[in-house]
Amino acid sequence: MKKIKIQIVIGLLVPCLLAGGVLAAQDQDSVVSKEVVKLRYFNENNGMQYLLLESAVKTGKKLRPQVNKVYQLYLDSNKAENLVTKVYTGGDGKAKAFIPPALKTIWEASPKHNFIAVAEATSKEEETSYEFEMARARLTLDTSTAEGVKNISVLAEQLVDGEWVAAPDVEMKVGIQRLGGILSAGEEETYTTDSSGTVTVEVKRDSLPGDQKGNVVLAARVDDNDLYGNLLATKTVPWGVVVQPESGFFDQRTLWSTRFRTPLWLLIMAYGIVIAVWGTIIYLAMQIVKIKKLGKEVPA
Amino acid sequence: MENFQSIKSEQITRDLLPSGFGLRGKIWTALLILLCIVGAFAYYRQLRHGLGVTHMGDYVSWGIYISNFVFFVAISLVGSLITAIFRLADVKWATPLTRIAEIIAVSAIVFASLIIIVDMGRPERMLNLFIHGRIQSPIMWDVIVISTYFCISLLLLYFPLLPDLKILIRFKEKSSKWLNKLYRFQGSFWKGTAQQFKISERAILILCITIIPVAFCIHTVTSWLFATTYRPGWDSTNFGAYFISGAFLVGAGGVVVAMYVFRRYYRLEKYITEMHFEKMGKIVVMLALLYLYFNVNEYLVPAFKMKKPEEAHLTELFTGAFAPMFWFAIFAGMIIPIVILLFKKGRKPLTMFIAGVMIVVGAWFKRYLIVTPTLLHPFLPMQDVPQSYHHYFPSWEEWAIAIGSLSGALLVITFFARIYPIIPIQETITEQLEKEHEMAGLETAAGNGNALSGGVISQHK
Repeated sequence: MKKIKIQIVIGLLVPCLLAGGVLAAQDQDSVVSKEVVKLRYFNENNGMQYLLLESAVKTGKKLRPQVNKVYQLYLDSNKAENLVTKVYTGGDGKAKAFIPPALKTIWEASPKHNFIAVAEATSKEEETSYEFEMARARLTLDTSTAEGVKNISVLAEQLVDGEWVAAPDVEMKVGIQRLGGILSAGEEETYTTDSSGTVTVEVKRDSLPGDQKGNVVLAARVDDNDLYGNLLATKTVPWGVVVQPESGFFDQRTLWSTRFRTPLWLLIMAYGIVIAVWGTIIYLAMQIVKIKKLGKEVPA
Repeated sequence: MENFQSIKSEQITRDLLPSGFGLRGKIWTALLILLCIVGAFAYYRQLRHGLGVTHMGDYVSWGIYISNFVFFVAISLVGSLITAIFRLADVKWATPLTRIAEIIAVSAIVFASLIIIVDMGRPERMLNLFIHGRIQSPIMWDVIVISTYFCISLLLLYFPLLPDLKILIRFKEKSSKWLNKLYRFQGSFWKGTAQQFKISERAILILCITIIPVAFCIHTVTSWLFATTYRPGWDSTNFGAYFISGAFLVGAGGVVVAMYVFRRYYRLEKYITEMHFEKMGKIVVMLALLYLYFNVNEYLVPAFKMKKPEEAHLTELFTGAFAPMFWFAIFAGMIIPIVILLFKKGRKPLTMFIAGVMIVVGAWFKRYLIVTPTLLHPFLPMQDVPQSYHHYFPSWEEWAIAIGSLSGALLVITFFARIYPIIPIQETITEQLEKEHEMAGLETAAGNGNALSGGVISQHK
């Protein structure tokens, strides 16, 4: 009876395992690798514009960066005269390219542009191209103080027919630049511009540590906007708490100080040992001289 | 009786005088020179192209070079064990081994210094250690203590060599012209007077006393290069003692190997007897057990606690990529030699030689395991770095330089044995005579070693 039960279990298990294996193999076959390329536009303080290309291969749910892949970046059209630059992706699959002064005329000519990334054909892959469309926009950050209340106002504008006009409904972060990112100045995490393209934020954080002069950097940042890309505006203001480095910190005699500030106990100990041991060595070397002298005194 | 003594002394002298290389010696020397040349070429490439020719990187910045350095420092400790400790303890049987131990110590310490300069990449930067050196840094302590240990070891090699130099000068027909010149330059002033013996004996005594703390310092300071950090695998209060016990073991293993090779090659069976292997075997077992004990402390206690940063490092050693090497170092470097040498039959020359080789090879890999796996397990996870940063395997240049340095150390020992007596002639004669006097019931001989030595020398004049 027991034997029959075992046979039934085995009889059921084997087909199940086989079926599982076949399905898994089919699943494996159906996984196709796909290239994922993302172009991002950045405008920092209305002075520095650059592109960031992110290239990866998606296999199933896994995203693997494409290292050392070559892309040609073009502005508006993939002609030689419109070439921004040729880039190689790094270890993280990313490549950065600044818009060269040679393309100033094309850049100034239109409020909207199209960036094109072309991966040249290789023996293994066909030529592929990716596009990103953006509209030229800018952020202006200003500050005001009324009755002891500090405010940050940010104006978002876009270029229309050669004129800068207000850009409404633009979401952004407004706050104080810290090491880990932007610390929101008010109570909201993000703010959206009104019909006049303006955001006004009352600064609630008035006791943040600044530099030696009390300066902090205010920042407004638009992240990955579908139309304008990434925009950043910063301004340095003396709204922080003055932080003075502890005077005399580097004058202490510590184990981490310079060699001119060695702790006295270490100096005495180290040099004491060195003098004692090397004194002995010198004494012994002198003994050789003594033996030599004695040898010369003995007739050959 | 005097005549009999003289004949006996002549026999010992003839047996122990250095002789030219035979065919095997020439092949051995040529092989070592070849390996040194390959190492030198690899170093030339490193100087020309920079440290980029190595596979060291942001994470593994101490690779095979520092493993080799720690190995050399470890093996050099044997000078203090055999020479100083045995001399101070009046262990007479160890006399034929003292010079072997000292030359191993000197050659190892020379190459320890050189390999550090190789690791620096740009050798001229060595000067910065002296110009801008901070006494707070363990690296500075290491530089001081290595140079000190080198000088003391050299003196400890030189003082006992003086009476032998006189013998070598006397047998000038046995050596070439330039060797005779060298002997005369180094020891023509040694006349073997009682006064000279007195000064020399006193100097040797002072050296023996001085070298022990300095030897302990050299390896403790080397261990502190690691232990003064917080890194998993290095952050240990056990490290100084752990390094010293390991150094004594590899040094003793090295001496056993050298004893066997010199005994066979120079036919020194009368001087390096089975008794020496028997006694060294017991010492090696004791040292291996001691080192095993420290290893248990070093790995079992952190493994019991398994603190998060230690976990990855220990798992990698016990069951991960480094596991084969780790268990090889533990078994070949400690457990198997202990098992072999615990038995009297295992303490015979050949088995001792095999155990010695296992200890030395195991010790080299142990140093590699101390240095590299820790560097591959930093506190912050390795992110956004090339795949190659996650592993380390030395480049051919690194292997060539490391093997070249090991060959260089062996070459120094080989040439030393070619130029100088590898067993102290004068001390052997003195001890032989002492024994015979004791056997003959001459009470004065045992307590008057110096005077007797002077007498023997005067017979050689």
